[in-house]
Amino acid sequence: MMGAERGRFRFGLAATVVAVALGLTVSACGGSSSGTAAGGSGPVTIRFMSYNYGTPCCGAGTQQLIDEFEKANPDIRIRPEAVAAADVLTKLRTEIAAGSSPDVVQLGWSKAGEARATLPLVPVQDIPTTTEWQTGIDGIYPNILKAVRNGTTGKVDIMPFSVSVPILYYNADIFRAAGLDPDRPPTTLAEVKTAASAITRTGKQGVYVAVADSGKSDYLTQSVMNSTGGGAVNASGAVTVDSPRSIAGLNAIRDLVVSGLQPKVSATDAQAAFAGGKIGMMVYTTAAMSAFEKSAKGTFDLRTTAFPSFDGSKARPTYSGAGLAVFGKDRRRQQAAWKFIRFLTSPQGFTILTKTIGYLPLRPAIVSDPAYLGTYFQQNRHLLPSLSQLNDVTPYTYFPGNHANQAVVALQDEAVTPIVLQGADAASALRATATKIRSLAR
Amino acid sequence: MAGVTLEPTPVSPTPPAPPAQGGCGVRARSGPWVYSAPAILSLATWVYVPMVATGVASLLDWDLITPARYVGVANYRRLLADHDFHRAIWQTGWYVLMMLPLATVVPLALAITLWLRPGRVSSLYRALLFLPVVLAPAANAVSWQFVLNPLQGITNTVLADLGLPGPGWLNDPSWAPVVIVAMTTGKIIGLNTLLFSASLSAIDQSTIEAARVDGATSWEIVRHVIAAQLIRPVALLGLLCVLLAGQWVFTNVALVTQGGPNGATDNVYYRLYTYAFTFFDTGTAAAAAVVITVGVAAGYVLVRLAIGRVRHADAPTAG
Repeated sequence: MMGAERGRFRFGLAATVVAVALGLTVSACGGSSSGTAAGGSGPVTIRFMSYNYGTPCCGAGTQQLIDEFEKANPDIRIRPEAVAAADVLTKLRTEIAAGSSPDVVQLGWSKAGEARATLPLVPVQDIPTTTEWQTGIDGIYPNILKAVRNGTTGKVDIMPFSVSVPILYYNADIFRAAGLDPDRPPTTLAEVKTAASAITRTGKQGVYVAVADSGKSDYLTQSVMNSTGGGAVNASGAVTVDSPRSIAGLNAIRDLVVSGLQPKVSATDAQAAFAGGKIGMMVYTTAAMSAFEKSAKGTFDLRTTAFPSFDGSKARPTYSGAGLAVFGKDRRRQQAAWKFIRFLTSPQGFTILTKTIGYLPLRPAIVSDPAYLGTYFQQNRHLLPSLSQLNDVTPYTYFPGNHANQAVVALQDEAVTPIVLQGADAASALRATATKIRSLAR
Repeated sequence: MAGVTLEPTPVSPTPPAPPAQGGCGVRARSGPWVYSAPAILSLATWVYVPMVATGVASLLDWDLITPARYVGVANYRRLLADHDFHRAIWQTGWYVLMMLPLATVVPLALAITLWLRPGRVSSLYRALLFLPVVLAPAANAVSWQFVLNPLQGITNTVLADLGLPGPGWLNDPSWAPVVIVAMTTGKIIGLNTLLFSASLSAIDQSTIEAARVDGATSWEIVRHVIAAQLIRPVALLGLLCVLLAGQWVFTNVALVTQGGPNGATDNVYYRLYTYAFTFFDTGTAAAAAVVITVGVAAGYVLVRLAIGRVRHADAPTAG
C-alpha cells in the first residue's frame, strides 16, 4: 500500500471510529421511553416505582398484586422498578429532571410534603371522573382519606395505600419470665416503664421505642409528640418541635434511655434484637409485622397491643408507610395509572397486601368478610389492635417550605438520634434543631 | 599486508523528511489530533464540560426541577457559614491522618516481610491480604454491621464473655469513625501491599548483596537499602491517601452510618452528596464541589512541595 493511500486509509479508519463512538454516545444519551405513544391504541406499559418490589419481605406480594392486575387488565402492562425507601425522592427527582418520570410511585408520607411542593405531581383525584372517583374511594376509612388530603387544595392528591401505624410489639415469653401477665400488656408509658424495669432484671433489654427511624422518617417522633399534647407543626403551620409539650414527649423517651430501660442502639439493631428474642417490647411500625412473625414462628410468643398513651393523655399516633402518587405525562397513561391504583386499593388489592405483606387493610368492611380477610383475621390477630386506631389516627404533618424533607432529616439526625443514642438533653437538642428547621422554611 | 585502520564509519544522520506538501501535509499534521479525538472528546464530555457546568451551577439556586435562579456567591457564603460543612472538613482531615500510616507504613512493612520470606505461605498471606479488595462493598458493609451489632453481634458477645463492656460501635460518636477507618483500610492495606510488592521486585539485588558483604544486619538492609529505594512509591501512595481518603471512606459512610451518629462519620464527599441528592440543593452542592476541588489541589501542591523539600534535604552535597 502506498504511503498516501495508507494515510487516507488511517484517516478514514480514525474518522469512522470517531463517528461510531459519537453515534454510540448520542444513542446512549437518548434514553428510552416505555409504553406506546400518547394516543396509541395498543397495550400501554406504565412504570411503577416501588420500595416494596424486589425486597425479601414484600417483593412476592407486590409481584402478586401486579400479576393479578395484569390478568384483569390485559391492555395495561406494569413495569415495576425497585428503589430503597430512603431513596425514593432522590430517584424520583433525578428521573423527572432527566425527562423520564415514572407513572406511579409508592411515595413515603414523610417525603410527600416536599414532593407536593416541588415535583409535577398529578393529583390522583383529578384523573377519574367524579363518579369514578367516588366509586373508587367508597368503603375506605373516611378518617384516612381526610388525614392524607392536601392541606392547600383539599384534594386527595396521593392515594393512601401501604399505610401502617406504630404499635407495641411484645414477647410474651419474656413477660412470663419477668413475672408479668402477657394477657394484660401495658397501655400507658408508665406501665411500659414498669414492665421494662421488670424485664431488665431478668437480663433482657426492656423496651425500644423506635423514634430514631432508620429510614429517617419522623412518624414515630410525631406520634410521641402528639401523644403528650405537642407536635411537629401546629394548625397554622408553625414549627413546634421545641414546644414544652413536644419536648416532654421526647424527654419521656430519654428517661427510658438514661434509666437503662432502653438500649442505646439504632432502630435497625433493635429490630434485629427484638426478632432474636433479646428485647421485651418494641414500639414500631406495623410494616415490620411480617418480618417479626417470621422470626417469632417456633421461637417465641409474639403479641401486639395498641400504641401506649403518655401521662394520662389519649394516644395520638400518626401513620407511616406510603401513598400512590401519579407522575405520568399523557392522559392515556394517567388513566392506566388510575386503573392500577384503583385495583391496588380495591378489596382484592388490600386483601393481597394484608395477607402477603402485613400492611393494614384500609377498607373496614373486608376485615370481617370471609370473601376477603375474615378468615385471615380469625387466625392472625396481631394487626387487630392497630386497626382499632385507624378510626382516629392523627394526620401526619409536614414542615413548611420547599425543604420539608431536609427539615425531617435535621430533626431525626440532630435531635432525635442524639437523644436516643446518647441520652442528650431533649430541650437543648430540640431548640437548636427548631431554629435550623425554621431557617429552612424561609 | 597493508595495515587496516579501523575507523568508525561516519554515519550521516538521516536528514529529516521534508515537510509534506499540500493535502498530505495537512493530514499528517492532523493525524495525531484525529487519533486523540475520542479521548479528548470523552474527557471534554465527561470531565471538562461538567466541571464548567458545576462552576456555573454553584452560582444558581436550583433544585433540578424548578427554573434556576442566579444568586451570585450566596451559595458559597452559606456553605462557608455551614457548621455541618466545617465539621465535614475537620472529619475528612481526621480520616487522612488516621489512614495515612495504614496506607503507607503498614502495607510497606507487610510487603517487605512477605518479600523477605518467599514461598507458598507468603503467597497465601498475600492472597489473604488482597481478598478484601475484591469483596463487594455493600456485602462487606452489611457483614461489618452484623459483626458489630451491639446487642447480638459476635464482637460484643465475645467481649461480654470476657467480662468486658462492649461499646455501641456504630452508634457511639467516638467509636463510629474508628470503625469506618477499620472497614476501609482492609481494602487499602491489601491493595497497597500489592503495589509495594510490585515495587520490591524492581529493587536492585546487587545493592543488597553489597550491603551484606559490608556486614550490614538484616534490619539495616531493610532500613537503609530496601526501604530507602521505596521512598517514591511511599510518597506516591501517601499523596494518594491525602487526596483520596475522603473518597475511600464514602461507600462505607453511605452504606453504614449515613454520616452519623451526630455527624461523627461525615466527610466532605458525603456532605456534597447529601446537599445534592438528599436535599436537592444543587447550587450548594456545586459550590461544595468547587471548594473541595480547590482544597484538594492545594493539598496536592503542599504535599509536592513537602516531598521536594525532603528530596532536596536527602540529596548528597557536592565537594
